[in-house]
Amino acid sequence: MNVRITLLLFVAALVVTPAYAQMDFSGEWGVRMYEDQPERVPGPELGDFLGIPINDAARLRAAAWDASLQTLREWQCRPHSADYIWRGPSQLKISKEVDPVSREIVAFHAEWLRSVDRPVYLDGRPHPSPNAPHTWGGFSTGRWEGDMLTVTVTHLKEGYLRRNGLPRSDKATVREHWIRNGDFLTVMTVVTDPVYLTEPFVRTTDYELTVNQQVPPYPCGVVQEIDRPKDQVPHFLPGSNPYMEEFATKHKIPVEATRGGAETMYPEFRAKIRK
Amino acid sequence: MRNRLAFRIGVIALAYSIACSLAYVVSGFSRTVIAQQAPAPPTPRAQAPIDLTGYWVSIVTEDWRWRMVTPPKGDYASIPMTPAARKVADAWDPKRDAASGEGCRAYGAGAIMRVPGRIHITWENDTTLRVDTEAGTQTRLFRFGAPGPAAPAAPPSWQGRSAAQWQISGGRRGAPPAGGSLRVVTTGLRPGYLRKNGVPYSANAVVTEYYNRTNEPNGDTWLVVTTVVEDPMYLNGRFVTSSHFKKAMDGSVWNPTPCETS
Repeated sequence: MNVRITLLLFVAALVVTPAYAQMDFSGEWGVRMYEDQPERVPGPELGDFLGIPINDAARLRAAAWDASLQTLREWQCRPHSADYIWRGPSQLKISKEVDPVSREIVAFHAEWLRSVDRPVYLDGRPHPSPNAPHTWGGFSTGRWEGDMLTVTVTHLKEGYLRRNGLPRSDKATVREHWIRNGDFLTVMTVVTDPVYLTEPFVRTTDYELTVNQQVPPYPCGVVQEIDRPKDQVPHFLPGSNPYMEEFATKHKIPVEATRGGAETMYPEFRAKIRK
Repeated sequence: MRNRLAFRIGVIALAYSIACSLAYVVSGFSRTVIAQQAPAPPTPRAQAPIDLTGYWVSIVTEDWRWRMVTPPKGDYASIPMTPAARKVADAWDPKRDAASGEGCRAYGAGAIMRVPGRIHITWENDTTLRVDTEAGTQTRLFRFGAPGPAAPAAPPSWQGRSAAQWQISGGRRGAPPAGGSLRVVTTGLRPGYLRKNGVPYSANAVVTEYYNRTNEPNGDTWLVVTTVVEDPMYLNGRFVTSSHFKKAMDGSVWNPTPCETS
């Protein structure tokens, strides 16, 4: 009898295939801001919409935006949205959630300095009804394409494409590709927004594995920053923003280019601005 | 009695040695036959887990101010330069570069994938992937496999020598491969610029690139190139950037242009 059991176990060990080893994205990742550093850390300049496929509605909203808006109590502790935060000035922590029985990865959780916990579900669950609440982190599901993780994000609250007032609507969806190349993580984000974009807005952002890092907590308290009437919301009326051409003047870039739009992200646009 | 015993031992030894020789010859013959019968290993072209060939156009949604126009001298934002690099960049003189045959410095392998324009990827042969660029009319050759024996070292060039390797996902325990990426390591470079305004990389720079491809629900196909430049002389740490290209329908608007210094 023992011989049979031993034989069975031996055969089973030969036959059983272990779960497919998925790429592990968990760990502490240091952001490498070797692209667009002035925009990402100090912050973008007003009127800089270069290379973003926005439409006129987005330009109008951005021209009405007043940075003082961020001093409002309602805005002070607002986290970056799931689509923007990859490009934000923060290190990243990704942890994995493992099913205790199957040991399969059922979710990744991504956290940055100024963000909410953002789970990416890998267990095949559907996205909720379109009427479900929208949040800063949205609702994310992922599926494997080889070693690349492709993530679909829906249910986002309204956010921004750039921190100078360029809006992204709550109807936008985001597709991400998480690509790990050794110690480097490259994440491609594809934002599709029927309200403010004429083409998908694609960016790729890089992180490097960092073993001596810990994303600290980010407690945020609301204070009265500026005394103003309760019903006053900082803004510029259409056509009244005096700062929209400062960026173009400062950097000697044609105003037409700084207004953005899909045309500005194609190489041919260089010939146009040289004329 | 002794002689008979010695004779027998001698016969056995002789038989053994003949048998061993025969076995060696037969096994060698078998190996030859098997080698002749075994199919040749697939070529890198046949092994490709992703198709990178075709025309691709760079989409400039990042670093616009430093890529679409030539930034002014001294604008080195985002690059982890050493003091030595800053000294070189501060002495940037585009007219001098043009006059001295150094006009393609901003189009070398350390920066070329970041220069706006289209690229055309084809197979030069079964072991070499070729990348042509509109910008600067450059050609890069990604060679798979070990370098050939006793090949004389080529002089440094703008595009250097590139060793390529597929990184295949899945395929474990007989399962079919599930995609993958391309890793390319380039050395043997002529000193060039990471940015058109003279931010340098040296002849000792090593450029490692990863090529990945994605497919989107709207039918778009993208090429993502992650580039890591290591150059202790001019860079503090590993300089990583990633650039993205959208698949173009064809080469109908392909328009190679010469190197420009400003």
